[in-house]
Amino acid sequence: MLILALLMFMEKKKSPNPWFGIRSDLSPRRQTFLTLASFCLPLLLWISVSYLPFIWHPDVKLQISADRVGVTTVFIAGDRVSKEYFPTFAQAVRSENMETRKARKLDQAKSGSKRDNLKKLRHMAPLAIANGWLESDERQDDEKIFEIWKGLAEGTLISSAVVLSEENLAVVQDNWQTLSAASSKYDPKRFPTEALLKLIPQGIPSNPVYLPAPHEVLGAGWRDFTTEPENNMPTMWKRYRHSLSVVFWGFAYSCLLGIPLAILCGSFDFFSKLHEPFVDFFRYMPAPTFSVLFVAFLGTADAPKIMLVFVGTFFQLVLVVANTTRMLEKSLLEAAQTLGANRRQLLGRVIIPGVLPKLYNDLRILLGWAWTWLVIAELIGEKTGLTGFIDTQGTRYNFDRVFPIIILIGLTGFFTDRLLLALRNPLFPWTEEARNSPKGVLAKIFQWFGDPSTYLGQPKS
Amino acid sequence: MSYSVQLPSYLEQGPAVSKRFRELQERPVKLRAESLSKTFETAKGKVRALRELSFDVHRREFITVIGPSGCGKTTLIRILAGLDFPTSGKVLLEGKKVHGPSADQGMVFQDYTLFPWLTVKKNVMFGMEVKGVGRLKAEAEAREWLEMVGLSKFAEVYPSQLSGGMKQRVAIARSLANRPEILLLDEPFGALDAQTRSSMQAYLLKIWRNVDVTIFFVTHDLDEAVYLSDRILVLRANPGEIDELIEVPVPRPRSPQQFLSPEFLATKKRLEELIHPPGHNQNETMPMIRLTEVGDEVE
Repeated sequence: MLILALLMFMEKKKSPNPWFGIRSDLSPRRQTFLTLASFCLPLLLWISVSYLPFIWHPDVKLQISADRVGVTTVFIAGDRVSKEYFPTFAQAVRSENMETRKARKLDQAKSGSKRDNLKKLRHMAPLAIANGWLESDERQDDEKIFEIWKGLAEGTLISSAVVLSEENLAVVQDNWQTLSAASSKYDPKRFPTEALLKLIPQGIPSNPVYLPAPHEVLGAGWRDFTTEPENNMPTMWKRYRHSLSVVFWGFAYSCLLGIPLAILCGSFDFFSKLHEPFVDFFRYMPAPTFSVLFVAFLGTADAPKIMLVFVGTFFQLVLVVANTTRMLEKSLLEAAQTLGANRRQLLGRVIIPGVLPKLYNDLRILLGWAWTWLVIAELIGEKTGLTGFIDTQGTRYNFDRVFPIIILIGLTGFFTDRLLLALRNPLFPWTEEARNSPKGVLAKIFQWFGDPSTYLGQPKS
Repeated sequence: MSYSVQLPSYLEQGPAVSKRFRELQERPVKLRAESLSKTFETAKGKVRALRELSFDVHRREFITVIGPSGCGKTTLIRILAGLDFPTSGKVLLEGKKVHGPSADQGMVFQDYTLFPWLTVKKNVMFGMEVKGVGRLKAEAEAREWLEMVGLSKFAEVYPSQLSGGMKQRVAIARSLANRPEILLLDEPFGALDAQTRSSMQAYLLKIWRNVDVTIFFVTHDLDEAVYLSDRILVLRANPGEIDELIEVPVPRPRSPQQFLSPEFLATKKRLEELIHPPGHNQNETMPMIRLTEVGDEVE
C-alpha cells in the first residue's frame, strides 16, 4: 500500500492519461488489469511466504526426529518446533550420541536394552515412508527397517526425499557396524544389546501449522471433495448443499416476511412508529444469544439454524428496506396522486416498482450477512455443513483442510453477488446504471420477456 | 429599467382583446378560490404564507401566477391541486369542494416526476390505467398524446434517456391524457435552458389551442407570463396576497414577434413595477469590493 501511495506521488502532474486521477475512470484495459491484480497480489503474497524459505518461516518442520532421555514431550517427524528451540533439541540428541561414543572409547560401551535399540532404528521409518520404501502401516516392521539401514549403510539405497546430513550418514554407518557385527540379517535372537547411536533430528524451515502452502491446501481440498469420508460422515458436496439450503431458507423467510413489513413501514408512518422502535431495539440483541432458545423449542435439526439466520437478517432488513422505501421521492407519489392513483395503486404502481432496484441492492448486502450468521448457526445444536467440518478439522490442527472450505464460502458469496449484480441491469433497464452500461445478451432477453407485446401482439389502433 | 419609447398603459385594450375578455367572463367558472389562507407552523413561530386569496378561473382560460420568491406561489398551486390544505377558505372545482388530489386537477411539476421505471408510453398511460381504462384504448390514446407533443418516436424509451424539455412534454401529455378539469403547472420550464424554454412555451400554447383545458400556470419569468396568459395574478410576499389581477392586452394568437409590441412591453413594465418596486433594489445594499485596477472601466 505504501509503495503504491508513493507511486501516486511520483506520477507526473501533467501525465496525459494518469493512473491516479481523483474520481476519473481508468480505461477498461487498466480496469481489467487492476481487477486481476487485486486477486493476484494476495495470492502472490501467500505463494512467496509459502515457498521462499527466507521469508518468515519461523518454525522447523521435523523430517527426522528422536526422543530424548528424560524428556517426556516427544516430537515426531512432521511436527513443527520453533527455529529457536530446534538447535537445543538437536544438540541434546547429539550430546547423547557423544556420550555413547565416549563410553565406547573407554571400553565401557554402554549397553542398551534391545527394545531401546529397536526404537532407535524405527526413527528411520518416516524417512523410509517418504521415500516409498515402507508403507505407512509398516512403521514397526523391524525386519524391513533393518534392511533399509543396511541398504543406506552399503549405499544401495539413497534417500532422495530427505537428504541425510553428513552426521546422520555417519550414524548410519556406525550403527550398521554394530548391527552387522552381530548379524547381517535381522534376527531377533542375535540382536545387539550395545547401545546404538541416535539419528540427529533434521528438519526444514517451515511456516506455522496454521499457514499451509497453496499446494497443500489445493491437495487437501481436492481430496476432501473427491473422496468418500469415513464413518458415514456426509460428503463435502452434501455439506455444501446443506449449508446453502440453511442460508437460502433463513434468508428467504426473512425476505418473505421482512420486505412487506419494511415497505409498509416506509410507506405509512403508522406502521413505522408501531414496528420500527421495537425492531431497532431487537436488532441490538445478537442473534447467537438466542441460539440456546432456538435449540430448546425447535430441536437440534435444521430449524434452529434457519431461525438463527432469519433472526440475524430479518431485523436489519426491515430497517434498511424501510429506509430505502422512505428515500423514494415524494414528488413521484404526489404526481401519481394528481393522476388519480388511490392508496392501493400508490403502493402497487409507484412505491414497489420505484424501490425495487435499491431494494435489490440492499438484499445483495444483506445476503452477505446471512452467510456470516450461517457460520454460527451451523455450530449450534448438531454441528453440520461446511462450518461443522471446519470446526472438526480445526480442533485437529488440519488447517490445510480448513482453508479450502473458507475459500469455498468466500467464492460462493463472491460469485453469488457477481451474478446478482449482472442480473441487476437486465432486471432494471430503466436505471441510470443500466443505461450507462453496455447491453449484453442477457439484457436483451430480459427486455424481450418483460415486454407485454411479446405475448399480446401489437395493439391495433 | 427604463423604456426609451413612450408606452401605452397596460390597461388600454384593443377591441379584439376586450371582446375576448368579455367572452371569457361569460364562460362558466372552472375553478374558484374563496378567501384562501395558509399559515405554516415553524420552529420560529407561525408564518402566514397566503392571506385571503379569492379569484375565479373561467373555462379554457390561461391564468398565470407571478410574484417575488417566497410569496406562496407554490403553496397556492399545491392547495389548488389538493396536495396541501388551506388553513381557511376553500377551493371549488366545477362548484365542488376540493378535498384532496385527484385526476381532475392535473399537475406538472418543475422536476418532471416521470416514473423512471415506465416507458414514455406507459407513463402517459398511467392515469388511464389507474382509472381502469382498457389496455388497448389507453395505449391508443397515449400514442395520440405523444404525437401531439411530438414524441411518437420515443414511446418505448425510458425517461432517463430523454432531455429535460422532452421529459416535461411527456409530463404534460401524461397529465392531459387524464382529461383533467384544470391543468396546474408549477414553474414547469424553470429548469430548462432559454432556447428549450421558448420552444416549450410555443408547444404549450399550441396544445392549449387544440385541447379543451383550463391552465393555471406558476412562473417567475415575466416574459413567459405575458406571452402565455390571459390574466396574470400578481402576488405580494409576506403574507401572500393578490397585488393585482392584470388582463394582458396582447392580442391572440400570440407569437414571439409580440415580445417587442407596445402592449407587451407595457404589461411587462407594470409587472416589474409590482414585483420590483422602485427603491427596493437589493444591489444597493450589497458590499462592493474592487479587485481590479482603477482606470480599466468596463462601462
